[in-house]
Amino acid sequence: MRPWHEEVQAIATLFTDNWDDELLRTNFVDLVLQLAVEQPLKTPFVAAVVLVANGNRPEVVDMLLEKLAGRIEETIGKGEWRDVKLYLKLLGCLQGCLEGEGVFPVLEELFSRAVDLQTASSEDTIGTEIVKIILLTLPYVMIAAPGQWAQKAADLMEKTEIIASEPHTLQTLIEPYQLGTGEENPPQSQSLIGLLQAQMQNEANNGWALPCLPRPWEFPLKEVEQRSKIDDAAKHALPTITIPQTVVAGPRPLFPEIYFSVYANQDVESVPPLANAAASLIRDVLLDTINVLDFNRNVTARHLIDLDCYFAPRTFAARATPFDRLRDIEPPKSTWKPEDVAVDAVFSQLLQLPNPEHKLVYYHSVLTEACKLAPAAIAPSLGRAIRFLYRSAPLMDLELSYRFMDWFSHHLSNFGFTWKWTEWVDDVYLPDVHPRKTFIAGALDKEIRLSFAQRIKNTLPDPYKEMITPEKEKDTPDFKFASDDAPFAAEGREIAGLLKRKASDEEIDAVIQRIQSQAIDREIDALVASTDVFVTCVLHVGSKSLSHVLAAIERTKDRLADAGAASDAARSQIISATMAYWSAHPGVALVIIEKLLNYSILTPETVINWALVSRAGNTRGEALAAAHVYEMVFNTVMKVTGRVRQLVVKPSSSLASNVDESETRDREIKAMRALFAAIEDALASWATGSKDEMIEASDGEGNSEGERMVRQWGQRWLRVYRRRAAIEEAFLVEAEKELARRAEEQARSSEAGVEVVTRMDAD
Amino acid sequence: MRGPRCTVERLDQPSAYFNNRNKRRRFDKDQRDGDDDINMQNDQPEEDPLKDATTLYVGNLSFYTTEEQVYELFSKCGEIKRLVMGLDRFTKTPCGFCFVEYYTHQDALDCMKYIGGTKLDERIIRTDLDPGFTEGRQYGRGKSGGQVRDEYREDYDEGRGGIGRALQARMRAGSRDRAGSRDYDDDYGRGK
Repeated sequence: MRPWHEEVQAIATLFTDNWDDELLRTNFVDLVLQLAVEQPLKTPFVAAVVLVANGNRPEVVDMLLEKLAGRIEETIGKGEWRDVKLYLKLLGCLQGCLEGEGVFPVLEELFSRAVDLQTASSEDTIGTEIVKIILLTLPYVMIAAPGQWAQKAADLMEKTEIIASEPHTLQTLIEPYQLGTGEENPPQSQSLIGLLQAQMQNEANNGWALPCLPRPWEFPLKEVEQRSKIDDAAKHALPTITIPQTVVAGPRPLFPEIYFSVYANQDVESVPPLANAAASLIRDVLLDTINVLDFNRNVTARHLIDLDCYFAPRTFAARATPFDRLRDIEPPKSTWKPEDVAVDAVFSQLLQLPNPEHKLVYYHSVLTEACKLAPAAIAPSLGRAIRFLYRSAPLMDLELSYRFMDWFSHHLSNFGFTWKWTEWVDDVYLPDVHPRKTFIAGALDKEIRLSFAQRIKNTLPDPYKEMITPEKEKDTPDFKFASDDAPFAAEGREIAGLLKRKASDEEIDAVIQRIQSQAIDREIDALVASTDVFVTCVLHVGSKSLSHVLAAIERTKDRLADAGAASDAARSQIISATMAYWSAHPGVALVIIEKLLNYSILTPETVINWALVSRAGNTRGEALAAAHVYEMVFNTVMKVTGRVRQLVVKPSSSLASNVDESETRDREIKAMRALFAAIEDALASWATGSKDEMIEASDGEGNSEGERMVRQWGQRWLRVYRRRAAIEEAFLVEAEKELARRAEEQARSSEAGVEVVTRMDAD
Repeated sequence: MRGPRCTVERLDQPSAYFNNRNKRRRFDKDQRDGDDDINMQNDQPEEDPLKDATTLYVGNLSFYTTEEQVYELFSKCGEIKRLVMGLDRFTKTPCGFCFVEYYTHQDALDCMKYIGGTKLDERIIRTDLDPGFTEGRQYGRGKSGGQVRDEYREDYDEGRGGIGRALQARMRAGSRDRAGSRDYDDDYGRGK
């Protein structure tokens, strides 16, 4: 492999030698800009090519700066903050060939917007984002023009300090660990912005050494001619970049960020320590790479595997060095494992609250591809990450521990379901409400969903096998009415028969009537009894596959809707019957419930009440530890919030329908708030241990291990839905602002439109 | 519009296979499939039939892969509106492909990017954007009822009934059966 500077020079020369090709000139400039935002790891190298080309053809820098300034202005205007950062990084790398103060006036101007925003509101997130961008641009400026701008940088950082050190009001909501649930103390979370400020201050104190960053524009001392050519090359004025008075949040909601690592607190540093600027600088460019390249996960994985190529030599230990061998590395040689750094970055996204930029499955797929590309290097790093997360899952935010479970089972499904289960074998004997036992049970269920019980059983050591009950190995569940022991067995069989031969409503009605009158005789709820029988029969008739059951529901939807509408208890029984019938395969039950929600046979409240009040109540709170109960509630809430979001951002189609639309919108928002209130209500009593069922079952003190764990589950659930509620409220506020802004814009443009029309009339 | 071409290939593009099929259709309209109602007016610029596609063709499934497994994996990209399993047109049993329909175009694109080429039931599956399911397309178009690719496949694939069925038949009966060529034209038979 050729050294960087030779490669850089070869490309620059190839370009300037063909300067007469006009198309090439434009393409070159456009490609430089596109690379900066699509493959940010390459930015310093691209900048180096530009700097060398500047020696022969200074015009190219003017062409580039013209467009680059335009892009920066445009992306700031739209609030596309990541692109702003990536363009500024490119510009920062070119500081050496800029006239005057170069990038600094832009950074200062940006900072003044941040100050305005932060002064106006303590909940502002744009100002924080701007400060983050400034702090992440500075290092590139400092290495591009070493030794010149220390005072400028110090002045700027003195100002950013105030914003960076202020903890954000939303920060507690998005911390990855839940405080105060257990005796163990979770690792301290670090606000990204606070960390950045401290790291850069450190760098400033050390004369901006920044040893990890590549400097491909530096030529070896013996290349005297090339060195002086770069130094003496023309300087260029940066075209004016106008920053609008009010900046906008842009298309992606902004939240304060936390620096998260699965490799913190190890006895040997396999990733850069928090105090080191390298931690943030490497992470930042990896995250941009990952999130920008979501359209090709193979390339993302390739960049992650090759990440050591994009940083200064000796920044990392050799690839695929086993963790145990890091100990033998003598200082000052680096012990940072490139695989750990890569895996850490992906997990920080997978486990980002409230949500990462892309669907979670994207981050799954990146880890899968990385593992496929370099199994020997990546798999051990993943293994250590899994062990860390398994250990910390009980302390983690509940949403995150389920994200971990979902990833884990999906990941294994891509690699033959192999995992060293033996190392957790003791945990099989924990009570079912223990978070680690829940994790195992939930992960196995998810594995089975992606495969089948017998297959998964074969991957497990003996003690785990008992967790996979014989029911799970059956193709279809038993029909409880097949045995005469079940109440209403004869009627159940009769209805199933009628459904199978698609008999008339009257015939079914007759049997339902019979069930109801028998139920009244036995003094049980008649509607609940008949609903249970009917739903169980529909499920039985459709047991062969999801299409069968969906077809069966489609045929009986009116009767199901009537049954559900008859009483709250009957509606709740629809869920009970479904969960009971598919108890061995809760995944199937969940799909059915989702479809019943779509038909409005069930309402979101039914689901919430079933899970958090009745089911949790009947199990003295232990249902709160079941992964599928969480999944059911979470999916339902996401469905509701998703619909509200869709309604809120939908542009109104016409004035006439506008009234209807805003009525629907308001109604749905109200319903969503009521749903969150119901969740809060139900969970708060579990979290404090004041639930009747808990007090009744209690030994009096409420201090038994089981009760303590149920309270913890309650607290963890509560935190998830309080956050969800807060996020949706924040979304509504932002959407409102955006609508107002758009309406204003529209009013302005229609005024202009009227003017044009009048003028045309006059003509 | 997505702007200029990306510096790396996108995984949410239709496959070369779809594009070729589509191109050919434009030229020989007489042979257009009856189920294909893509509007192709002669002189109007043709609209991309996949512009708002919400459906994916999913191939290389095992014959034993169930709807529930497909649901579990594909729901990771969004709620599934409809799932149609591909069936052997004689035996009405799964024959290794399906159509997954989402509610939104974005979910379908994300599925191309994040799920296509990963494993389901321990097989690498293939996804392709599809203009939409129409009745009849759920059946294999191979001579013996399954997909065309399973007629003459020479490798032994346990999840897809061993070696090609036509080959199996030939081995059983000697090679008296001469294959006609036209009717093997399965929309997705070529696999990869």
